Formats: sequence, C-alpha cells, structure tokens
Amino acid sequence: MAHTHKSNWELIKNGMFSENTIFRMAISLCPSIAVTNSLKNGFFMGVSVIFVQTMVNLTVSLIRNFINPKIRIPIFMMVIAGYVSLIDMSMAAFARPIYKQIGLYIQLIVAFASIFARAEVFAVKNKIIPSVADGLGMGIGFFLAMIIISFFRELLGKGALWGFPIVSGNPLLIMILPAGGFFAVGLLMGFFNWVDAKLAERKAAQETTEKLAA
Amino acid sequence: MTAKDMAKITINLIVIYVIGGLILAYVYAKASPIMFIKAKEEKEAALRTMMPEADKIEAIGKWEPHHKHAEYYAAEKCGEVKLKSVKDEKTGEMKEEKECINPQNIGYVVEGFGKGYSSYINILVAVDNNFTVKKINILHHAETPGLGDEIEKDYFLKRFEGKTVDTLVVIKGDTADKVEAISGATISSRAVTEDGVKNGVKMLKEKLSGGEKEQQGEEDQHGSHS
Repeated sequence: MAHTHKSNWELIKNGMFSENTIFRMAISLCPSIAVTNSLKNGFFMGVSVIFVQTMVNLTVSLIRNFINPKIRIPIFMMVIAGYVSLIDMSMAAFARPIYKQIGLYIQLIVAFASIFARAEVFAVKNKIIPSVADGLGMGIGFFLAMIIISFFRELLGKGALWGFPIVSGNPLLIMILPAGGFFAVGLLMGFFNWVDAKLAERKAAQETTEKLAA
Repeated sequence: MTAKDMAKITINLIVIYVIGGLILAYVYAKASPIMFIKAKEEKEAALRTMMPEADKIEAIGKWEPHHKHAEYYAAEKCGEVKLKSVKDEKTGEMKEEKECINPQNIGYVVEGFGKGYSSYINILVAVDNNFTVKKINILHHAETPGLGDEIEKDYFLKRFEGKTVDTLVVIKGDTADKVEAISGATISSRAVTEDGVKNGVKMLKEKLSGGEKEQQGEEDQHGSHS
C-alpha cells in the first residue's frame, strides 16, 4: 500500500469493518480469547487498544522521515513499548482507580500484532491525519470485536453481563474457559463471513436483474 | 552496505532510542514517588479494613511463604486517646497530636500465599490474641473464572470466621466446624484454607506464643517509643 487516497471517514470505516483486526485480518487473536471472558474485561482492553493504536500511528507517522527503512522494526518496538510504559506509569501514579481495572491489559499491549502491523503497513507510509484516522478505525474495530465476543461469552458462560446476573440457572461454563474463547471467535467469524456472502449474493442478483431490465 | 551506511543506521537508532529513554526517565522520575506513596496508602487501608477496631497496626516481622515476601503485623488498641498540643519544630506552630495511652494488643494480621490451581493466592488474615481467625480477605489471585474465583466471594470468606489451626481443614460437603469446599473448586478452596490461612496462623502461633517473654519485651519497647 502506497499513499492512501481514501478519505478519513473511509479509513475509519475500513478499520472497523472491511479490515477488522479480529474478524477479517485474524491478527491479535490472543487477546480476543484471553481477556474476553467478561464484558468488563473486553471493554477495558478495547479502550486501551484504541488509545495506544492511535498514539503509535500518530508518532510513527510523525517521525517517518527520520526512520531509516532498514531499522524500522526496532524503532516501532521502541515507540510501542515506550507508549505502553508511559501510560502504565502515569496511570499508576495519577489514575489509580482506572489503573486497577486496566493496568493488567495495558502491559499486554506491547505484544499485539495488530498495533505493529498498522505501523508497518500504514503509518510509516502516510501523513499524520490519515494515520490517526487509520489507528482510530483499527482501534474501534478491535474494540467492537472485543465487545461482541465478551458479550456472548459472559452471557452464556456466567449468565451475567458486566458482573450483574441476568439469567439464572446453570450457565455453559465452558464459554468462559479458554476453549469457549475459540468457539466464540470461530463461530462469530463464520457468522460474519456468512453475512458477507449473503450480501454479495444479493448484490449480484440485483445487478443481473438490472441488466435484464435494461 | 558501506561503512557510511552503517554509521548512519547506528546513529539513527541511537538518537531515537536515547530520546525515547529520556522521555521515559522523565516520566518515571515524576510518577514513581507518587506511585509508591499511593501503594503504601492502599496497603494501610487494606490492613485497617482487616482490623477496624485497632488504632495502630504495625509490621513486626517478615516471613517467606512459597519464597514470596510477606509481612505480619500486630494490631493495638489504645486504652485511652489523649489529645495534646505539640510545637511543630519547623514552623513553630502549635498543633494537636493524638497520644496513645496504655496500648493493648488485640490481635495480629498476617499476609500469606497459597498455591492454587493456576496462581498464587495472596491472602490477608486477621486473628485475635488466641490465634482464632476473625476475618480473611483475598488480595490477589488468577484462578479459573467461574470456578476458582468464587474464593473471593463473601459467602466463602465468612466460612473462616472463628476457625483455629485445628479446624482450618477443607471438607467436601456439609460441615459444622470445618471449612466447606466450593463445589468445583476444591483445589482453590484447599489452597486458601490449608496452604494460605492455616500456614499463616501456624507461623504466627509458633513465632509469637512460643516467645511470650520476648514479645512482652518488644511491646515495652513500642510503649517507650510512643
């Protein structure tokens, strides 16, 4: 991908839907299984990623002309690890209640493929504003995926949402165990592929009828 | 790759890493003192909730369950609290200060670790003078969600009230004087009860009731300090 010609809004939508990190690109699947056993975990993980992804894209784009292409990888590592440590330390000092909720997840972000991938594929080749839009879109896409997965897992596995019990009776405990994470991600990915295929079919059918009418 | 290219790349990398390092160092210098103070305050608050009736909770020793650093504390209640005016040495202003008269030991708090199903479970245990458990609290754990994490629920923590070293035993099913296991989480229940709480109480009992005289001496020392 060279310079992008898409508008900022298109870039955001691209990250949210057509290039959704988890359901389309299938990268960063590890957190989508590890931290989606409750809606609360999924939510906070998603929020942290939106922030880090946007900031990393912004920074990489900002310094892209100083980066020698041969050493871009270690520099991306530096930027990502730097942001993660910065956020971790400043939250531990100044935002203690939030830190207790999401401190654990912030540290995990260092190893996320999706953040690295966007720096490499997009931010290092594009201007600042489109890079921020791309980061925001990818972050929101990840956030939505986390919310959807954790919604189903907590509801089915615990009969609760955000810690509040909703359904009584024996829940499907396997859904909040790691195995259930694979089920949830796989089934949801299949569902979205099915929706996509149906939409494409309908579009094709519409086009042929239009052609016939003409 | 020529020598010039190599030098260029090296300088490029060094400059960016040094800038990044400096930013991190600056933030760390600003944030770390606040971080440590807040963490200490939180620990004190956690100890106070364990023994709300105590006026003073002081660390009296260290021990190492599972090679982890843990401390135990003595809780004291003042016989009488007297307010007295003290002159601040720096500003010269008079201010009120609480004085603890005739402090009495009302129990101990011990931090312990139990080896659970998938993590070390960090526990605080409050005991009275006779080493009977008054209250326990789970500080940190990473047990299986939905099964093992029931250990932090109130209904399980309540089962420890009034237990002693001899009755801190896990039983599957109904029990009158022992600790009933959480169904589906026997390993986690056992880790809390027999590994964490029991070992903590046992250690306290051995160290403190064995050396009654020594402890008396220590208390006198505390008294003269305050």
